[in-house]
Amino acid sequence: MNHISRLMSLARSIGFAVVLLIVLLAINLVLNPARFQPGSWGALIGLAAPLVGAAIASTPVILAGRGGIDISVGPLMGFVNAMLIQVLFLKAGIASPLLLVPAALLIGALVGAANGFLATIARIQPIVATLGTYLILTGVTLTILPAPIGPAPGWLKALAGPWSALPLAAILLAWWLVRRLPYHDQLMAVGSDDRAAYTAGVDVTRVRFIAYVMTGVLGGCAGLMLTALIGSADPNIGPTYTLIAIAAVALGGVSLAGGRGGVAGAVVGAVDIFLLQSVLTTFNVSTFVLQIAYGAILVLAVMLTALQERLAMRGR
Amino acid sequence: MPARRNLFATTKARVIGAFCVAAFLHLAGTVLIPGYSSPFAVRAMLVLASLLAVASIGQTLVVIMGGIDLSIPFVIGFANVVAAQLYGDGWNFFLVCVLVGVLALIIGGLNGLISRSLDIQPLIVTLGIGMVVQGLVLLWTAGFPSGSAPQAVSSFVSIGGSAGPLPVPWLVPSLVILAALVVLVLERTPYGRRLYALGSNPGAAPLALIDPVRMWIITYAASAFFAAVAGVLLLGFTGSAYGDVGQPYLFQTIAAVVVGGAALVGGRGSYLGTIAGVLVLTEINTLLIGLGFQPSAVQAALGFIIVLLVSLYGRERHVSATI
Repeated sequence: MNHISRLMSLARSIGFAVVLLIVLLAINLVLNPARFQPGSWGALIGLAAPLVGAAIASTPVILAGRGGIDISVGPLMGFVNAMLIQVLFLKAGIASPLLLVPAALLIGALVGAANGFLATIARIQPIVATLGTYLILTGVTLTILPAPIGPAPGWLKALAGPWSALPLAAILLAWWLVRRLPYHDQLMAVGSDDRAAYTAGVDVTRVRFIAYVMTGVLGGCAGLMLTALIGSADPNIGPTYTLIAIAAVALGGVSLAGGRGGVAGAVVGAVDIFLLQSVLTTFNVSTFVLQIAYGAILVLAVMLTALQERLAMRGR
Repeated sequence: MPARRNLFATTKARVIGAFCVAAFLHLAGTVLIPGYSSPFAVRAMLVLASLLAVASIGQTLVVIMGGIDLSIPFVIGFANVVAAQLYGDGWNFFLVCVLVGVLALIIGGLNGLISRSLDIQPLIVTLGIGMVVQGLVLLWTAGFPSGSAPQAVSSFVSIGGSAGPLPVPWLVPSLVILAALVVLVLERTPYGRRLYALGSNPGAAPLALIDPVRMWIITYAASAFFAAVAGVLLLGFTGSAYGDVGQPYLFQTIAAVVVGGAALVGGRGSYLGTIAGVLVLTEINTLLIGLGFQPSAVQAALGFIIVLLVSLYGRERHVSATI
């Protein structure tokens, strides 16, 4: 019974996004069957991975509530990209995944901890604190990497091809483990009502700080997947992911007010946006029309999600 | 510690703090860089600051109400390109301004209507609407906007211009009057009172007969309108149309509002504070470029300084203090 009710609440929170996913997938399959045949799944997942990763990374701080948001996720991905290729691989000659992967996660954790310090201990409004790190990371990335440079190590490029599902699976497994921890309950409690959580003895500051560190680590993973996809270092691509990732999270039914939704919703939202881009590019329209459709569908989708939630509330 | 905490507890103290920082930065610039306080440099700074101040009016109103407007840079670009294009096609410039203004009001009203009536995060709505607007403009001009600004607008914002006896272009005294009007509206009119009430307690405001949807439509419409004004002024400043001219204003308007002491959760802030924030940002930018930093390093330093300033006087309360 408990499982069923939890499934129901899950369906309610990501309901519309899932319907959209199925519709978009069907349209994609009809329009462009070659692109979606099993043989090209690896490349396809690799193409979607950075956006999915960025959306997952944006989720923990949003769940933590009280305006929690991290707009530095995109620049962090770009920073990790630049550090890995320019500083570690090309300058220091380190190519081993055993060193590069921990390095990416460590950079992410450090940036996340810095954001966490600013937003929870210095208590600067999260959007301003992470706007600060956004500007710092973009500036530093452009300083160490003024122009695109390549290539990336071979194993890393393989992560955008046949092995593209591996990093995503690792992230989802890690999040599944987090969900088993008491920490997850505390995170959701803090996100829905931090004052009640505080009076119940939850260390609100610690819970939020850890959420920022998680976002940082996941952002490091997303940076890794971005590096795999572009197979080089480019200082300008990372920051473009920030707002789209947050849009994906919102589309996936994660409340930007905190405490509602989860990583599954963020993934569905990100895949929605990816499939939407894919549909629009198959029509071979100009990038201008693409942008119009893109913005319009984004607004329509969040409107429909809101309407559907309203109906669900009335039905109860 | 408690004494220091009280020092910046009120909005007024935060505003004064921000003005002091701007004055200090200017002093530092004068000492470090020869010619920093020369009449031309000061005029240039005043013009740049005025443009940002116009673009930030809307963000101030929206933030006080508890929202955020990411469509400002897109509306700036829209007004910039449409005004140049239509004027270049031989339209009467007054008519062009009316059309651009009305369209901007509609765009902004749509932002407010959708966000409030369906309770959707304005962050997403304004971003989506902004992208649609930008896409439409690009489609219309095929990506290559043409046209130019009429001479009147150019001289209105020109750094070398003068306003009667004053050695600054008309833009600067006009902004002072506009700022006074905005402050007056916020402090002395029912609209201003309603705005603060809605921002500090969105649940209680309707009980005081404040119509939230109407307030959001009006305020977002005003935000888009002032963004359009900034877009037309920028057309005069740069001389030719450019769709991405507003992009730097996305984060700068938010930074100016926050450095000026507003809280993004709503209910707190003032336009005078935003002006102080605008001056701080302009001073930092000019100072760092004057010291010979690369644009990327300027950006990094700007981020650092914003965080530093806000941690000095813009800190939020601990959760234990909100119970």
